[in-house]
Amino acid sequence: MKLFATYHPSVLLVYFIGVIGITMFTMNPLLLLISFLGAFGFAIQLENKQIVFASFAFYIPMFFLISVTNPLFSHNGVTPLFFLNDQPVTLEAMLYGAAIGGMIVSVMYWCRCYNLIMTSDKFIYLFGKVIPKLSLVISMAIRFVPLFIKQIKHISTVQKTMGIYATKSIVDRVLSGFRIFSAMITWSLENAVDTAASMRARGYGLSGRTNFSLFRFTLRDGIMLSVILALLITALIGNNMGVLDYSFYPRMSRIQISPLAIITYITLLTLLFIPFVVEVEENRKWNYYISKI
Amino acid sequence: MKKDLLALGFIVLAIALILSGTKFQTVDEYYMTHIDDITPDSKTVTISIRCDTILDNWNDLVPELQSDEFVPQDGVILPETAYVLREGDTAFDITDRAVRYNKIQMEYQGANMNSYGSVYIQGIHYLYEFSCGPLSGWMYRVNGVFPNYGCSKYELKDGDIIEWVYTCDLGRDVGCIWMGGEWEEE
Repeated sequence: MKLFATYHPSVLLVYFIGVIGITMFTMNPLLLLISFLGAFGFAIQLENKQIVFASFAFYIPMFFLISVTNPLFSHNGVTPLFFLNDQPVTLEAMLYGAAIGGMIVSVMYWCRCYNLIMTSDKFIYLFGKVIPKLSLVISMAIRFVPLFIKQIKHISTVQKTMGIYATKSIVDRVLSGFRIFSAMITWSLENAVDTAASMRARGYGLSGRTNFSLFRFTLRDGIMLSVILALLITALIGNNMGVLDYSFYPRMSRIQISPLAIITYITLLTLLFIPFVVEVEENRKWNYYISKI
Repeated sequence: MKKDLLALGFIVLAIALILSGTKFQTVDEYYMTHIDDITPDSKTVTISIRCDTILDNWNDLVPELQSDEFVPQDGVILPETAYVLREGDTAFDITDRAVRYNKIQMEYQGANMNSYGSVYIQGIHYLYEFSCGPLSGWMYRVNGVFPNYGCSKYELKDGDIIEWVYTCDLGRDVGCIWMGGEWEEE
């Protein structure tokens, strides 16, 4: 169990909605970089380092694909690099694509962390009483992809053991991938229905049904929540004053460096690095205590 | 392994097909346009590009375009200039040649990309449709009349005067009657 995961679910929910929202709705490169580093640092604390670095194999090609695709559809910008079928491919469009790519990768890293920290029991604890059906659907939807990947690994291992498409040929592997995928679609539909039926059988969502959970909102949670909210509000005020504004077209604007802008950036930096700092501090303490044994 | 080689062959073929249908040009090649010299017996048309209406609606303009660099202070992007009319030239051909010759940025949607079967000019000189309010965009008139169809369908004749004007009000502020007028009558 990681320390950040022991905070009350409401604190975690506010935090993740805040950071994912900030990352999704900004085009400011500096802010995107901070957000990426925050998410990446957190992911490294949560998961095995090798797994996080292995995930680059997926994120880096995706990042480049998005950066290259944007200039094909967007031709605005003052710096044409070359012309493709009489339409300019501009530096601005490329960097805009890179910013979008960076944003998507950061959001994906945040969602990775969300999945590890905010397990479905926490989500159901928060919303199970208020909106039972919707919260079950949302929780299943969020859980869908990790579960899907896990099951794919199961099926492919079984198929390999059975010797189906177990050659080294890439074509065979792709074909086997299609087969597994088609099996997975059926499986995931069935699984969703099963889950819903099973939850119903347990009387989920009926009135008068009680839940047991270990979550207590303590002073520590109160302090963390108020810190997060204070930082979020400060950042929003800064954003409304326009200090985070950034535009790529037609000419890339400069990142503002006024005192107000610096305060806003520091606020965001603090906000986005909270989980990382919490985990690093915990590790430090842990190592300190072991060193005394 | 044979299957892999076959698949690789197909992929290479597909990439080659895509590349053969793509025209690559450097910036200099693109802007290097041949303009015919005007001789006494050559047919000519004049073309101008203006964006005066933006100056009257400055506050509607998106902030990143609010500078002299993108909106000239007199509203003239291309002053009236005469160009030689080649056989079968449409209003779009002349416009394309003129902006290339003067190195003015222009983005358009090709004739096969929309249901009107005509080129649509999205932006000239970084001023795009909707850059200055929801009713803004580029319109053209020939000899003072706004044709109600696309510029690549308008065949020009000797002595035509083409004007590209930026409107901030669906044509009403540049004197276009066929849309503004009808609307007001209703």
